[in-house]
Amino acid sequence: MLYKTALLFLLAFTTNFVFAQTKFTLSGELRDSSNGETLIGAVVKIMETNKAISTNTYGYFALTLPAGNYTVQITYLGFQTKIIKVNLEKDSKLNVKLASRSISGKEVVIKGEREDKNIRSTEMSTVELTGEKVKQLPVIFGESDILKAITLLPGIKSGGEGGTGFYVRGGGPDQNLILMDEAVVYNPSHLFGFLSVFNTDAVKNLEVIKGGMPANYGGRLSSILNVTMREGNNQKYEFNGGVGLLASRFSAEGPIKKGKSSFLIAARRTYIDVLAQPFLPKSAQGNAYYFYDINFKMNWQLGTKDKLYFSGYFGRDILDFISPTNNNVNLNFGWGNATATLRWNHVFKPKLFSNTSIIYNRYDLFNDFKFGVNGFSVRSGLNDWNLKSDFTWFAADKHLVKFGFNYIFHSFTPGIATGSVGTIKIDEEISKQYAHEVAVYAQDEWQITQRWSVNAGLRAVAFNRVGPYTQEIFNEDNQKTGESIKYGVNESMAFYPRLEPRLNVNYLINEESSIKASYTKTYQFVHLATTSGAQFPVDLWVPSSAKVKPQEANQVALGYFRNFINNRYEASAEAYYKVMDNQIEFKPFSQLFFNANLENEMVFGQGKAYGLELFLKKKVGRLNGWIGYTWSRAYRQFDQLNYGEAYFFRYDRTHDMSLVLSYTFNKKWTGTFVFVYGTGNAVTLPNSRYPYRIGYDPQTNEPKFTFIDVYDKINSYRLPAYHRADISFVYTHKKTKSWESNWNFSIYNIYNRANPYFIYFLPDIDKLEVKAYMVYLFPILPSVAWNFKF
Amino acid sequence: MKNIIIVLFVLFTFLACEKEITIDVPPGKLQYVVEASINNRFPLLNYVFISTTIDYFKPDLSLNGVKNAEVYITPGVIVGNDTFYNEANRIKLYGVDTLAKLVPALDSILGPFSGVYMNPFELTGAVNTPYKLDILLNNGATAITAKTFIPRTVNIDSVLYRIEPKQGKDTVGKAYTKFWFVDGPERNNYRLAVNTSPDSILFGWGACKFYRTFDDEFVNNGNRPYEFVRPFNEGDTLNLYLSHIGRKEFLFWQSFGKADNNGGPFATPGSVSSNIKGAIGSFTGYSVDFKQVILK
Repeated sequence: MLYKTALLFLLAFTTNFVFAQTKFTLSGELRDSSNGETLIGAVVKIMETNKAISTNTYGYFALTLPAGNYTVQITYLGFQTKIIKVNLEKDSKLNVKLASRSISGKEVVIKGEREDKNIRSTEMSTVELTGEKVKQLPVIFGESDILKAITLLPGIKSGGEGGTGFYVRGGGPDQNLILMDEAVVYNPSHLFGFLSVFNTDAVKNLEVIKGGMPANYGGRLSSILNVTMREGNNQKYEFNGGVGLLASRFSAEGPIKKGKSSFLIAARRTYIDVLAQPFLPKSAQGNAYYFYDINFKMNWQLGTKDKLYFSGYFGRDILDFISPTNNNVNLNFGWGNATATLRWNHVFKPKLFSNTSIIYNRYDLFNDFKFGVNGFSVRSGLNDWNLKSDFTWFAADKHLVKFGFNYIFHSFTPGIATGSVGTIKIDEEISKQYAHEVAVYAQDEWQITQRWSVNAGLRAVAFNRVGPYTQEIFNEDNQKTGESIKYGVNESMAFYPRLEPRLNVNYLINEESSIKASYTKTYQFVHLATTSGAQFPVDLWVPSSAKVKPQEANQVALGYFRNFINNRYEASAEAYYKVMDNQIEFKPFSQLFFNANLENEMVFGQGKAYGLELFLKKKVGRLNGWIGYTWSRAYRQFDQLNYGEAYFFRYDRTHDMSLVLSYTFNKKWTGTFVFVYGTGNAVTLPNSRYPYRIGYDPQTNEPKFTFIDVYDKINSYRLPAYHRADISFVYTHKKTKSWESNWNFSIYNIYNRANPYFIYFLPDIDKLEVKAYMVYLFPILPSVAWNFKF
Repeated sequence: MKNIIIVLFVLFTFLACEKEITIDVPPGKLQYVVEASINNRFPLLNYVFISTTIDYFKPDLSLNGVKNAEVYITPGVIVGNDTFYNEANRIKLYGVDTLAKLVPALDSILGPFSGVYMNPFELTGAVNTPYKLDILLNNGATAITAKTFIPRTVNIDSVLYRIEPKQGKDTVGKAYTKFWFVDGPERNNYRLAVNTSPDSILFGWGACKFYRTFDDEFVNNGNRPYEFVRPFNEGDTLNLYLSHIGRKEFLFWQSFGKADNNGGPFATPGSVSSNIKGAIGSFTGYSVDFKQVILK
C-alpha cells in the first residue's frame, strides 16, 4: 500500500512539471555584509507577484519567473531590507549582501529571524535560536549553553537542574538526533551533563524540529536538533574570547582569501582542575577533572558554482582519580566526541542546488584502572561513516522539490578489556557490531493555491545489521554456554526495510494567520542503553538486531499560527498526538557496562504522548522575548513492568511554562529575565521495606541488619514542582575600531527556590522511622563572564 | 563506575543542599521475607529468618520476625540429572525462644532475633549437596519453599599485608591487605564477607562489616588476588569468609547489593530478585573457606 502511495505521489508532481511553461530563473546567495556569513532563511520576495522564497542552509535561493521587470525585496530580521530592480530576460544571478540594522531606539530586533515564515511556510513544530540570542540569556557558572537555551522553548523539556538533557514531546533523550554541521553527536554533554559540547562562539544557528519532520531527516523518533557552525569572517581577521567561572574560550577567524574563503577555529577548556588543586587535601592531590573542545570550520568558493566546507569538532572530558585512602588505586577515565564534515555545494543549474557530504563521527570512552598488582583498561564506543547527497530543485513556479540519499556505516564497540589481575591475563572483547543504514527521500513543497500549500515527502530507509559478529549463547542463568553463532563479513543478521511518509499542510487564512497540520512517521535503528534518568558517559548505544526491533513513532499535529502588528508579534497553538512502538527499557539493576548479553536485559513496550503547546513571541522593540506554555501527558507501557499497566514516563510534565524577556536599556546595557515552571518529575518510591542480612554485633550486643526497599508502581509519585527565575545584565563597553567587550552578570535562581534534584531516605534510629530528604543542587547563584572581540 | 561518577559529580558542584520533606506514599501489600543460609563450616550460620514487609514510613525499625512457623531443611541426593529429597532426612529448625530454653548460653546472642529458626545440633551443611527449605505458616495455610546447593569449596591460598606506620593524626598504622585464592576453570560465583572482630561471626552474616559478590566472568582460572581498597587498622583481627555459591544465589546477592546502595540517585529503582517461592528472599548454600589473620 505504501509503495503505491509513493508512486502516485511521485507521478503527481512530475506530471505537473511536464506542462509547466519555460521561464527564467533568478538565483543567488545572500550574505551578511560585515563578515560574509551566509544568511539562512532570508526572504526573497517578488513584489509584483507576491511570490516569496527563503534561502536554504547555505544562503542560496532560486525563483522561476516569466521574463519581465521585477522588484525584488530582500528581508531578514535584524538587517536592512533591500529592494532591487531586476530585468529578467535570461537566467540571472543575484548575490546580495545585507547590512545589519543599527541597534538604537525602536530598532532593537532579534537578529536572524524571518518575518512571516511561521505563517506562510508549511513547516510547523519547529523552533529556532541564534548563537547570539543564546549568549544574552542568564547563565550558570558564566557559561552560555544552547542545549539549556532550547529547553526554554515550548514542547522541549529540561532533564533536570542545570543539565543539558532534553526531552521532546514525550520522547527519550536518545530519540533526539543531534547534528553539528550534519555530523551526529551521540553524547552532547560535558561535565556529566551540566554543559553541552556546543561552544556558542562557534554556533551560528540552531533549529529544533519537534514534529512535521521533513523527509530529508530521519533516524530518530522525537526531534532533530540541527546546529550550524559559523563559517568565519571572510572580510577581516577577528578574535573572540570569554572568561567564565568554569571555563575560558578563544576563537580566531578570518579570510583565507578575502571574500572567497574563510576559517574559524574555536576552543575552550575548564580550569576546575587547576583552581581546585591548592585547596585539595594532601590525600586528594592528583585528583582532577577537566574538559576541552575544539571546533574548526573552513570554506572555499571554487568558481561560481562550487563551494567546499570542511568542519569538525574534537572534545574530551578527563577524570583522574587517586583514592584518598589508598594511593595505589588510580582511575583514569575519559570520554569524548570527534566529528569531521566535508561538504561540497554545487549548483548544477540555477534551479538545481546540491550538497554532498562525507561525514565521520566518533564517540569513545576509556577507563584505565590500576590497583597494586592489578590493572586493566576498558574501551567502548561507536563511529559512523556517512555519505549523503541532498538536492534542492527549484522546479517550477509552485514547487520546491528536495530529494537525496544517505548511507551510514555504523560500527559499535561495546567493550574491549585488557590487563591483568594478579597472574591472570585479561583479554576480552565483546564482539563488535556493524550495520548499514541507507535512506532515499523525495519531497515536494507545493503551493497549490494562494491559500493552500502542502509539503509531501517519502523517506525509504533500510537498516541491515551485518557481520562479522560472534553471537555468544547464554543459559537461563545468563552465563555463557561456550556455544556461539558466527556471522561472516557483511552477512545479514537482521534486515529492516521501512517507509516513512511525511505530510505537512498549510491553509493560509489571511496575511496574518494560518492553520497547519502534519503527519510524521519515523523509525529509529540505534538505541541508548541506560537505566538512569540522566545520560552518563558510560551509557552505550546499541544497534537494532533480530531481537531488538526498530523503534517506531507516528505523530500528528495541528496548529494555528497568528502574527500581529506587522509581524512584530507571533503566536501559535499546536496540539500533537504521538504513539511509539518497540520502546526499550532495561530490567531493574541491569548490568549495562561490558555485558555481552545486553539484549537479555531489555524489555520492549509502547509509548504514548499528547499535548498542547502555546507560544507568544515579541520579536522587535526594546522589550522582546517569548512566553511558552505546554500541557502534556507522556506514558509508557511494558508487559513485564508495572504489572503490565501503563505508567507515566519519567519526564511526563503536565504543565511546563517558560518566560523569556529581554530589555535593551541603552547601547550599553541589556537585561534578560527568565522564569520557568514545570510539574515535578514522576518518580518511583518505595512503599515498604524489610530487614535483611541479619547478624549479632558483639560490640553493641545488638542485632545488626539492613533495610531493603520494596517498590510497587513505577513513577506513581510526583516530585515537588520545579520553578525558578534567573536574571542577567549584559554591559557592553563602548566599541572602538579594534576592540569590543562585554560583561555578563547573571543570577541563577534569584528567589533561592529549593528545586528537587533527587530524594533519598534515611532511618532515624531515635524516632524509629524512615525520613525523606530532598537534595537540591543550586541555590541562588551569581556568576560573571567577560567576553571580548578584537 | 557509575557511582564514582555520581559522587564526584555531586562533589564538583560543592553546592548540593538537602532538606527533610514529608512524603505520603500509600502502604504496600504485606509480603513474607525469608533469609535462609546453610554452609559447610559454621553451625550458627545455618539459619532461617522469617519476617514480613513493613510500611515504609511506619515508625518501626525492628526485625519484625514471624514466630510460630514450622521450618524444615532437607538434604538431597543428586542422581544423574535428578535431585531427590527424602522426607525422612528432613531436619526441623526451632525458633530462638525454644533454643534459648534448651541452651541458656545462646539466649544472650539469639534473644533479640525473634523470627529466626535454627538447629545447630543436627544441621550441618556438606559440600556438593542440594538442600530444600520448607516453611509452613498460619497453621499450614501458607507454604514457602526454596532450594539451594552447596558447591565445592574454593580455598584462600594466602593473605598478605603491608603495615604503613601511622602518620599525622593517625592513631594506628594502616594495613594494606590482599589475599589470593585459586579460581578453577569452571564458572564460579563468590560472596566475600569480612569482619574485624576478635571473634569470628557469632551469629548471622550481617555481623560482618564488608561484603562483595563477584564472579569470574572476566578473570577466570588461575591464582587470583583480591586486594582491599581501604586499608585496615594495624592490630585488627581480620576474619575472611570466602564463599563459593550458586548462580541463582549470586544473582540474588548481586541485586541485593545494588538495592542496598539503591544504584545512585538517577537509577531506576527495583526490587531484588528472589529464589524463594511464596516470599521475597534467598536460600543460599555457602561453601565457606575461612582465614583469620591478626594484622600486626
